[in-house]
Amino acid sequence: MNTSFEEKSAWITAIGLVVVFGIYCAVAGQMLVGGVTEALPFVPVFTLAVVLLVALLVGGHVAVAIASRPDGRDERDRLITWRAEHDSSWLLGAGVIAAVFCLVLPIERGWIANGLLAALFLSEIVNYALRLYYYRRGL
Amino acid sequence: MAGSKATIRNRIRKLRFDKGEMTQLELAERVGVTRQTVNAIEGAKYSPSLEVAFRIAEVFGLPLEEVFQHGPVEE
Repeated sequence: MNTSFEEKSAWITAIGLVVVFGIYCAVAGQMLVGGVTEALPFVPVFTLAVVLLVALLVGGHVAVAIASRPDGRDERDRLITWRAEHDSSWLLGAGVIAAVFCLVLPIERGWIANGLLAALFLSEIVNYALRLYYYRRGL
Repeated sequence: MAGSKATIRNRIRKLRFDKGEMTQLELAERVGVTRQTVNAIEGAKYSPSLEVAFRIAEVFGLPLEEVFQHGPVEE
């Protein structure tokens, strides 16, 4: 198979992020719609999401490492990582700036905190989607 | 130039064949990159750094310009 360990790692991380973010959105969305607007009740949900994400990433990477020996990183992997991070980091920046503006508006903290988390997750999902695009289509 | 773009082309696939059908993995190990990177370079999906380009040329015992060429490619 013409896929490096780094590309497989990007697939695992992208899928893990989409799955965990999807579950978090389903749970947090129901809480927000149900009237939970403080940030604190979301902490356990977020903590569980992080634990689930770490478990998925560790399990996925161990399985891939057992199936095929990691072949190390080279200059192409580093360039793809750098370019994908460069092209996706604006999403997190935009989310942070939006959150700062929201602080001066009458918006509940729960919405602001979840907006920040959404910006973080989306930035990372776009980051890994771009890595996969660059691996498949070239730089 | 309308309808074309500049890219780095190479003759690595032919040179590997001429050098005893050297595999991508063998070339990758001698150059110090992954096999997937050699594959991407051959397919013009990745332009290597000058350092890697020189190392590839050294493996074939040729000057750089006989392995890599720069020029327009019709889209």
